[in-house]
Amino acid sequence: MTTYLYENDLVPQKYRILVAHRHDTLVRKIALELDIPVQELRRYLIEHLDMMLLENLPARAEMADVHADQDDPIARALGREKFTQYLQILPYAAMEPIFHEVSGRVHAGTPMEDAIAYGREKMREELRR
Amino acid sequence: MKRTVDVNIPLGPIHPCFKEPVRLKCEAKGERIVGVEVELGYMKKGIERIMKGRPWQEVMFLAERVCGICSVIHNMVFIEAMEQISGISVPPRAAYLRVIANELDRMQSHLLANFSYCYTIEHETLGMYLLDLREQVMDELEHLTGARVTCAYIIPGGVRCDIPRPDAELLQTSLDRIERDLRRYSGMFADGPMIALRSRGVGILTQEAAQQAHAVGPTARASGIAADCRLNHPTYRQLGFVPVSRKDHDNYARVMVRFDEVVQSIGLIRKCLQDLPKGVIRGGGVCKAGETRYSGEAPRGELTYFIKSDEYGRIVDIQIQTPSIMNIEACCHEMILGADSIADVTSTFVSADPCVACTER
Amino acid sequence: MTILQRIKNKVRARSIHVAYVDVGSCNGCDIEVLACLAPRYDIEQYGIFVHNNPREADVLLVIGAYTPGWEEKLAMVWEKIPDPKAAVAIGNCPISGCLFNRRESFVDPPVKKHIPIAAEVPGCPPRPTEILQAILSVRDSVFANWEEEHP
Repeated sequence: MTTYLYENDLVPQKYRILVAHRHDTLVRKIALELDIPVQELRRYLIEHLDMMLLENLPARAEMADVHADQDDPIARALGREKFTQYLQILPYAAMEPIFHEVSGRVHAGTPMEDAIAYGREKMREELRR
Repeated sequence: MKRTVDVNIPLGPIHPCFKEPVRLKCEAKGERIVGVEVELGYMKKGIERIMKGRPWQEVMFLAERVCGICSVIHNMVFIEAMEQISGISVPPRAAYLRVIANELDRMQSHLLANFSYCYTIEHETLGMYLLDLREQVMDELEHLTGARVTCAYIIPGGVRCDIPRPDAELLQTSLDRIERDLRRYSGMFADGPMIALRSRGVGILTQEAAQQAHAVGPTARASGIAADCRLNHPTYRQLGFVPVSRKDHDNYARVMVRFDEVVQSIGLIRKCLQDLPKGVIRGGGVCKAGETRYSGEAPRGELTYFIKSDEYGRIVDIQIQTPSIMNIEACCHEMILGADSIADVTSTFVSADPCVACTER
Repeated sequence: MTILQRIKNKVRARSIHVAYVDVGSCNGCDIEVLACLAPRYDIEQYGIFVHNNPREADVLLVIGAYTPGWEEKLAMVWEKIPDPKAAVAIGNCPISGCLFNRRESFVDPPVKKHIPIAAEVPGCPPRPTEILQAILSVRDSVFANWEEEHP
């Protein structure tokens, strides 16, 4: 086990940011949308995002609601730009194959809801990896 | 997130160029910056948690102390949000005096930000000129409100003290002097060849990235987004306010936008003094129960308060979204990337006018 | 006291290097310290030089109410400053916590608990002239007779 001279354990401080009222509402909303437990999403966010991005999550989510994926209803339902560029929860490289698969299924005739549910399943797998 | 990089250079929390403690862990490839991780937590005081359950008379002073540099606008946004909840109207003279105090505050904040930038790029002469000019603005603010910082000038239904006729004339003459000096200094910045070498083309924030990170204030206006909350404010509408914006996207543009805004603020104050209505400065009123979201334009950008109060005027729930949250985020995750050396990291960071006390609250 | 010691005292008292550290304030005191740099107050006429580097500092200005992020770190900064040294608390926050010292907040004032403080400047925020005066009084009491007290 390496001990660093200056590095602190940031988990308690990141957790404090996430449990502020506005951030907590947003995290619960995302957890509901992706259908994963809130605790698990919090842990993922704490491990993968830095403190500044955590502070800025509500503002980014607001902008995503207004501007993300204006012209593609499938991408909007799946949250392609929302989760990659705006909230930066998933890397772009991981999201792109999921999106192509989902949009392929929709064009092949699968109902929208089923295809999106399939996409969400893939995204959950990506988050848990 | 663990990644393999050439060098990981930590800057801060104590750094000669940073006014406040923040830690930037720059991941560098050679000398080119490929990623920045921000470590906060040095200023987390939990001010929103203190505010909950307290009467507005107390929260008013706490709101001012969210940020010491732009204290007037925190005061103004909190009070105007309470006024919106309770349906209190403001006498026209008080509304104009609020604008004067707010614009003086904006001037000193922008001058301080530009001083920090000049100091960071080692142009100390210009920095000292600007700091001296800021002292003159602080004098005017003190003359009007009675204190240099955290003056609690704005109260529900009005302002605390009036501006007598001789003081208004004094303010006019001071503004003339400040404007003369300011035009000289901003000319020095605009035409300085060495300054241009350090500033032009450094720290690019594209319009798209600014929009994604919800960048606000001069940072967004230097990237071509002409968003300004003063456009929605009734008093500023009467004054015919039009925001300044530039399309250069770099450090130079951000500093120049601030210079332009100081000149614009001087114009706004002059206009206020010119058609300052006669009448009372306090209308009175009672703070009531309600819930609202209210935004105002701080020197650094859009400041939003989410307030819920009960029937005695106590604050049940409050959330503050300060401009620095968005601006530092945009700065660290977009502007700094691709900087050619560590020296550009500090200057780019300072050009976004970061205020860590606001960010962490 | 030898003549060499007298010269040392004199030189020490005429070159005070200042570092400031913000341990969780509202920023108001921070900018008042910065305002001290302005030509109007002209601190360099007293031989005071502000550059924020603890390793060559003599006086440490502590601003703010001590947040958890500074545990260990403030003491480390204090250890890095070479002797003779003095810490000055600027504003109400390091003295009492001011209005941040309530239930539910994260701060842990006073700073006196964590590092030794030589002088305190109350005020929310204090004026730049008061900050300057505090530094000058610390200079007279700590640096001007250091040689007699530490032979």
